Amino acid sequence: MSDVAVTINGAKLVGRAGQTILELALENGVDIPNLCHDPRLAPAGSCRLCLVEVEGQRVPVTACTFKIDPGMVVRTQTPEIRELRKTILELLFYEHRGACTTCNENGTCSLQKYAYEYELDESIFTAPPKAEPARNYTTGNEAIEYDPDKCIRCGRCIRICEEVQMDSALTFKERASAVEVTTAFDMPLNESTCELCGQCISTCPTGALYERRAKGRGQCKDLVRTRTTCPYCGVGCQIDLNVNPKTNQIVRVTSEVGCIPNDGNLCVKGRFAMDFVGSDKRLTTPLIKRNGEFEPATWDEAIELVASKLGGIKAAYGADSIGGLSSAKCTNEDNYVFQKFIRAVIGTNNVDHCARLCHASTVAGLAKAFGSGAMTNSIDELKNTGCIFVIGSNTTEAHPVIGLVIKEAVVKNGAELVVADPRSIDLVRFAKLHIAQKPGTDVALVNAMMNVIIAEGLLDEEFIKERTEDFDALAEAVRDFSPEKAEAITTVPAEKIREAARIYARASSASIVYSMGITQHTTGTDNVLSLANLAMLTGNVGKESAGVNPLRGQNNVQGACDMGALPNVYPGYQSVEDEKIRAKFEKAWGKELSTNKGLTVVEMLHAAQAGRIKALYIMGENPALSDPNLNRTRRALDAVDFLIVQDIFLSETAQYADVVLPSVCFAEKNGTFTNTERRVQRVRKAVDPPGKARDDWRIVCEVAAKMGYPMGYECAGEIMDEIASLTPIYGGISFERLARPSTGGRARRRPGIDSVGLQWPCPDKSHPGTNYLHKGKFTRGKGKFHAVEFKDPAELPSRKYPFVLSTGRLLYQFHTGTMTRKSSAINQVSPTGFVEIHPDDAKRLDISDGLMVEVVTARGKVTTPAKVTPDIGKGWLFMPFHFEEGPANMLTIDELDPLAKIPEYKVCAANIRRLHGKG
Amino acid sequence: MVMAGKKIKSLSDIEQLRQRLLGEQRSYKARVLICMTGCRALGAQEVGAEFREKLKNLSLDKQVAVVETGCIGMCARAPVVLIEPYRYLYGGVTPEDVGEIISATIQQGRAVERLAVVQNGKPAACIDEIDFYKKQKRRVLENCGRIDPKRIEDAIERGGYITAIKAISEKGAQRIIDEVTRSGLRGRGGAGFPTGVKWGLARKSPGDEKYIICNADEGDPGAFMDRALLEGDPHRVIEGMIIAAYAIGASRGFVYVRAEYPIAVEHVHIALEQARSLGLLGEKIGGADFSFDIEVRMGAGAFVCGEETALIASLEGKRGMPTSRPPFPAESGYRGKPTNINNVETFGNVPIILKDGAESYSSIGTEKSKGTKIFALAGKVNNTGLAEVPMGATLREIIFEIGGGIPKGRRFKAAQMGGPSGGCIPAAYLDTEIDYDSVQQIGAIMGSGGLIVMDENTCMVDVARYFLQFVQSESCGKCPPCRVGTKKMLAILERICRGEGELEDLDVLERLGRDIKKASLCGLGQTAPNPVLSTLRYFREEYEEHVVLKTCRASVCEGLVRAPCQHGCPAGVNVPEYLALAAEGRLSEAANIIRRRNPFVSVCGRVCDHPCERRCRRGEIDQPLAIRALKRYIADNMPDFAVPMVRPVHRGAEAAIIGSGPAGLSCGYFLALMQRSSVIFEAEPIPGGMLALGIPEFRLPKQVLQKEIDFILSHGVELRINSRVDEASELISQGFKAVFIGTGAQRGKDIRIEGIELKGVVDSIEFLRDRALGKGMDCGDEAVVVLGGGNAAIDVARSAVRLGAKKVTILYRRSREEMPAYEEEIEGAIGEGVELVTLAIPKRIIGSKGSVAGVEFIRAEPGKAEADGRRRPIPVEGSETTIECDIVIPAIGQVPSVEAAHFINGPELTKWGTIKVNPVHKGTTARGIFAGGDCVSGPASVIDAIAAGQKAAISIDKLLGGSGELPRDTGFSFVKPDEEVLAQGPPRFEEEIIPPSQRRRGFAEVVLGIDREQALAEAGRCLRCDLEK
Repeated sequence: MSDVAVTINGAKLVGRAGQTILELALENGVDIPNLCHDPRLAPAGSCRLCLVEVEGQRVPVTACTFKIDPGMVVRTQTPEIRELRKTILELLFYEHRGACTTCNENGTCSLQKYAYEYELDESIFTAPPKAEPARNYTTGNEAIEYDPDKCIRCGRCIRICEEVQMDSALTFKERASAVEVTTAFDMPLNESTCELCGQCISTCPTGALYERRAKGRGQCKDLVRTRTTCPYCGVGCQIDLNVNPKTNQIVRVTSEVGCIPNDGNLCVKGRFAMDFVGSDKRLTTPLIKRNGEFEPATWDEAIELVASKLGGIKAAYGADSIGGLSSAKCTNEDNYVFQKFIRAVIGTNNVDHCARLCHASTVAGLAKAFGSGAMTNSIDELKNTGCIFVIGSNTTEAHPVIGLVIKEAVVKNGAELVVADPRSIDLVRFAKLHIAQKPGTDVALVNAMMNVIIAEGLLDEEFIKERTEDFDALAEAVRDFSPEKAEAITTVPAEKIREAARIYARASSASIVYSMGITQHTTGTDNVLSLANLAMLTGNVGKESAGVNPLRGQNNVQGACDMGALPNVYPGYQSVEDEKIRAKFEKAWGKELSTNKGLTVVEMLHAAQAGRIKALYIMGENPALSDPNLNRTRRALDAVDFLIVQDIFLSETAQYADVVLPSVCFAEKNGTFTNTERRVQRVRKAVDPPGKARDDWRIVCEVAAKMGYPMGYECAGEIMDEIASLTPIYGGISFERLARPSTGGRARRRPGIDSVGLQWPCPDKSHPGTNYLHKGKFTRGKGKFHAVEFKDPAELPSRKYPFVLSTGRLLYQFHTGTMTRKSSAINQVSPTGFVEIHPDDAKRLDISDGLMVEVVTARGKVTTPAKVTPDIGKGWLFMPFHFEEGPANMLTIDELDPLAKIPEYKVCAANIRRLHGKG
Repeated sequence: MVMAGKKIKSLSDIEQLRQRLLGEQRSYKARVLICMTGCRALGAQEVGAEFREKLKNLSLDKQVAVVETGCIGMCARAPVVLIEPYRYLYGGVTPEDVGEIISATIQQGRAVERLAVVQNGKPAACIDEIDFYKKQKRRVLENCGRIDPKRIEDAIERGGYITAIKAISEKGAQRIIDEVTRSGLRGRGGAGFPTGVKWGLARKSPGDEKYIICNADEGDPGAFMDRALLEGDPHRVIEGMIIAAYAIGASRGFVYVRAEYPIAVEHVHIALEQARSLGLLGEKIGGADFSFDIEVRMGAGAFVCGEETALIASLEGKRGMPTSRPPFPAESGYRGKPTNINNVETFGNVPIILKDGAESYSSIGTEKSKGTKIFALAGKVNNTGLAEVPMGATLREIIFEIGGGIPKGRRFKAAQMGGPSGGCIPAAYLDTEIDYDSVQQIGAIMGSGGLIVMDENTCMVDVARYFLQFVQSESCGKCPPCRVGTKKMLAILERICRGEGELEDLDVLERLGRDIKKASLCGLGQTAPNPVLSTLRYFREEYEEHVVLKTCRASVCEGLVRAPCQHGCPAGVNVPEYLALAAEGRLSEAANIIRRRNPFVSVCGRVCDHPCERRCRRGEIDQPLAIRALKRYIADNMPDFAVPMVRPVHRGAEAAIIGSGPAGLSCGYFLALMQRSSVIFEAEPIPGGMLALGIPEFRLPKQVLQKEIDFILSHGVELRINSRVDEASELISQGFKAVFIGTGAQRGKDIRIEGIELKGVVDSIEFLRDRALGKGMDCGDEAVVVLGGGNAAIDVARSAVRLGAKKVTILYRRSREEMPAYEEEIEGAIGEGVELVTLAIPKRIIGSKGSVAGVEFIRAEPGKAEADGRRRPIPVEGSETTIECDIVIPAIGQVPSVEAAHFINGPELTKWGTIKVNPVHKGTTARGIFAGGDCVSGPASVIDAIAAGQKAAISIDKLLGGSGELPRDTGFSFVKPDEEVLAQGPPRFEEEIIPPSQRRRGFAEVVLGIDREQALAEAGRCLRCDLEK
């Protein structure tokens, strides 16, 4: 972009072509007042406050809409302009209820700020007499409250809903001074298309839109903001916890525009699901089960008990009779210490965590193909890609903020979106092509796409030649895999497969985005290998805005893997079977380490059931609800001799424990999370923990010390230093580099490296981190093609179980609901689980929407309401797994991918029937 | 009907078709054209059906075509029928008239005069004779009212589409744009942007996909020219769009028309379909390599959707809210593509330009505004309807010549141009040539051409409030200046209209208005304050009256006005209630109500200029009540005229009053009502001031006045005649606690003219005064010339007649309509043989031997309007004329006499020599001294003087510690008249006048008054609008 020289208030400034006066001014610290401007939105010019004088223009122009031209002369503070602004502000106060003393927004309100700056006469702030607040579209809504009396009709809420969220739930109604924000036809918010992301609140310049629950809990001017990382999905949104220091409560969650990766955007969970932090159900003291009942205990008692029991079992049955489940919800530091404890203190590699249940196949598959099992590219790069191929990811629900990026890429930047998903997910609205393949047939689909690409010469021969190996094997494997053959397997019309292949292969750059729809299969690794094949075939790896991008499910599932909370690798994917590496760790940790790979999650539970595992130490995981085939899982938990559960709530799993250790949640601890794009981000303590709860790593250290292995860390930063010293991909990461000045006001600073985290590989302290992997060279050297044969899922529909059941996530809930279900805002919109069924099937079985039904598989049965929707295909069912009162995992199958050991959550055979007399 | 399938593939195809159609046309002997659009609501369909049936019965249906047309123009006379080839235009036609029209006009070629327009008292049947059409130049509307808009054949027969086909097959796009640019056509939607330039921008904008939009979202109240054109001649608009599309390279077009125009929507749909079937729209239009089609989109009626960016948003299915420009639609419009939007009328002009050429087109109009403009005439004008005039026509031409002037002889006050966001143009600009730039200069905008005429009964504050309310409610709400600013302005205006305004409010209105114009996002907000700003600019006085005096001179503002007549009375007499009592025959009670505010019942029953009657709401239905005649009836017939209202008071020297004119007498009277004593000092030997010395007896008999003065004095008011006061402040030192000066305007205004010193030149005031004092001159057998046009001039002339003058001539420099004298007095004078020479400017008085021998005057013609709207007389070179005469009496106005202004230590005077007072309490700049009447206002009416005396009395009472409250005058009659009786009420009774032949003989009262029966009936006509609240 070419430089454009402009004079503003006598000073020469240089901007870029296409920039507006306002953008240039703000960038250069020239403050032009504005109320309807949000850098995330297209300029509207509606508040008129940014009027400036431009030489040669007859009348003042709005700086937010007026683009700069070379030689332009702008004046922003002439008496006439100031007078106009003052008039506008006076007018705004004419309709604005100037109730600053009782307003939540007091202190951050832009209108208030300008009123002061422009010395408005305070007498105009007198609030007009007002009866009961009028009913409006937010009446009765638990999350969002709208006060038309404070609304300045800038339209930012409406625009962000339309332009960023692309949801268009909001609109103006009426005309003139009766204009108000509302939903279509004045529907209550929860009945509208609103996703409760609260983006409207985030952009509101006054107190008109506010978190209902935050009211009365602290005015903005008194709140202390702490920048930290969202504890929900793997996107790693940067959030500011706004804490009232007097009550130690999180009052509201905000996010700064410009921050990475979310640019101030949040989803419903990030904004409204923090109630769990201050929940009175939090564990506050250690519990010891005596005679089947939990009794409060002191830390000394509990630590003593744990240490002696583990010591005893190790002595009696050997180290491998003990297993540990680490946690994708905990920090890198917690995970590092936990696996170090299992490996160095217990002396076994039986450590794993729930990544096993989501992306084990990614780690395995991508490691085989590329040498590194993580998202190859960055979230931001999706914006500029030519084609996005989303397969097996309901992005807008499971990774909502990445969903925004995809929508932006399509709507604003013209990317072509291909969605392959059996369900008509929300992204289909934006897709050029939707492929509804039969569940479990992804390999067939991708093989056929590659067949087309090769047949039509759309492959990147140079890339294949230079950068890869074993192409011939692949070519051979897909040669006969015609779209017609795939059509028979996938039910997708051959022509659509061809079209998908062409869109993908012809794009300037193409990104594959996938998630659990690909991984949670007995063929999970095969699926991942197929996608890796596809990307390499078209040269879409190792370059910007391309790649193979698995979206990680939990906030720190990437980090927990990175930290070696896996039975086969030490931190940084260093194999436990590699002697040199083992020697390095033995030296560093001062202990002899096991030479054998340990057991995976499901294997551990199976072993427990079989009596081979005697003790389990579960940190922040909830297998009693999250693991497949719950009846069997729960029997296993019952069978364990000694079960330690370390958590923030008395979870379903904790019920089975012998000792429960109360730990602190993300808002109460320091440390780091690593998001789905390999970005190591800071977690900062914002509130004090409840009762006697302690940091996870401290608890583990104390047990270790009691067992004769003091670790001696003073703080999380020291742990990271040790991680960096032993883990090459984290080699350059330290808390000093991740530090960031304390959060300020709303000033829009351009984010620097200190606030954006660091993407691994970051081998040394001077390394800036890595945006995308495999640039120039794959981690494993050459990219490796794998011939992948199509295989059926483990369990196919039968006469007795004619339906295919799949499970997954909802936008509003997270994992086992332990955290999200503590939020009243979320419970209001997503109170129960359900099973989705196609209207034709429903009609046949006399099932109507909302009716209670029974879903049955060979492993169990669940009663839940039916949701009749055409978004799902005929012959199959979908259930969210968040709800303990209708636990989908009672039904799921625990057959595993042979390599990655991931269970096949996405496909099992089931039946459904209506429950008579209920509903 | 349309020759389906026969697509036009070339220019010659359509020309041949036209020839054939012309042949078919000629087969009809006559055509009956009936407006079936605007006139439909008033029964046009029934009239049409009747024509068809009757013609069929007479077997004339093959020779006479009945054509359903669009608007013919004279909407005030709907339903309108035009008969060709005779060109007779009939209005208000009912099915019952059809038989006569057929037999007289169609069968015999004779006009039916009773259905024709009446012009200057004579019927004018032929459309070419009708003033309404004569002054127009109907070019865009040439087919409107001439063709059946539902038949494309009619349009083609009159040349429709040929220009377009020719243009796209023969001219290049750039040549078309050049032609349109050279023609000087500017956007008829209002802003007046050069159309050719706009097209050029759209053409230059990169992109394969471009759009043409016809803006038919006509939202101004009172504007209906776009509607009429779409209803009456949609083909012309479509043709314009085809040409525009070809010029900019668009392949799709929209007509965005409001859904409230169902006939327009229907006719456009039909026209599009017919054009498509003929290959005039769609693929390869007229065989050329150019494809274009148009669809109709309906708007929901939001005013702001007339703004082009809001219109585009609406077209895209979004809320109709404007967006900031740049980017302009020409760069990024509908769906982000280059888009050209023009108004309906603009497109209607395009075929004319391409057909006749830019030079021919631009030969009409002003320097910077070319062609014609259609105005929608509405409001207080006789001929409402559509008028197409050349740019540069004056408002006077449009309103008075085409529009036929203001109904009921009321005075023109202002014209609202440019719709609600336009401005009010006062009378001073009646002769300004109207074009885009001149209109803008005088504070309005051309807008789409809405022209709402307002008469003197229009309150300009209320008008501003009304228009602001409209724009305020139509604000889209996007930007605060428009959304809130107009709301705040409206709140202020509403407050002012309720009488709760403050003077500072006017400054706030001005400041806000200015800022809103500058800061608003779109045209709506940028022009919304115009009605307020323009009325503040030209009618600030009216605002100030609302604020300071709490009066609304038009008696409109509800918060201030109980009943318009009462409000219109300067003394605030409760007219409705005394009329109600009079209607019951309770005359004493009626007089009692009058006398609570006005002691001069008899006087005002005769010589009041009755502003009450001009406000009377009955006047909106038929004629106003004869309030003055009723007042006289009451005074002349009440049994107990002389009984005082209160007991006489004698409390020593409380107030001194200088002058016993109506102001002074009233002041003393009202002081007495409030139990204050006063002494009136009168310099003359008789009391009454101008009532006695200025108004001749034939209008106000001496004994009538004397009775009234006696009545006033009976309240204890002391009168000292022959008592000149030289120094008002002296009276204070004499012990009076307050002084009221009511010395009047006694001196004739000096006329600067050669020969004024000659013998035989007599000042009018002196003339009348001497006559009143019985020492007057005799005019026996002499020729008298009176100079002037006011009441004094008429009084002098009529007196001269009675004094035996052999010839009396009045010379007046302006026109008869502009004479300030009361119309009935002028009529009276003429009846008595006075010759009236108007548009005659006296040049000199010719003398002979030191005496008057004649007057030389020069003829004049009316020039441009002066500030008050009256036209400046322009002398006609070489038209000097001489009248021989013996006596010349200049009567060109009065000023306060030197005596009135001689209070050296007293009150300050104005630059006109009048006494400066506070308009509310009448206090002068000297403490304790008040003033009122002509010495303050200059020559004014009796009732103004009475009102001034009343107000001063109230102030004096307050000054002396009283409450300043006059007796309560409401609550005597609440009977609401029966609506039905009212509706059938008799017409106004006019007072009987003695015949001129008798009048000339003496000074007997000319007007005889009304009798009991008439009086009761007349009083019963009152609507009692005071009871409506």
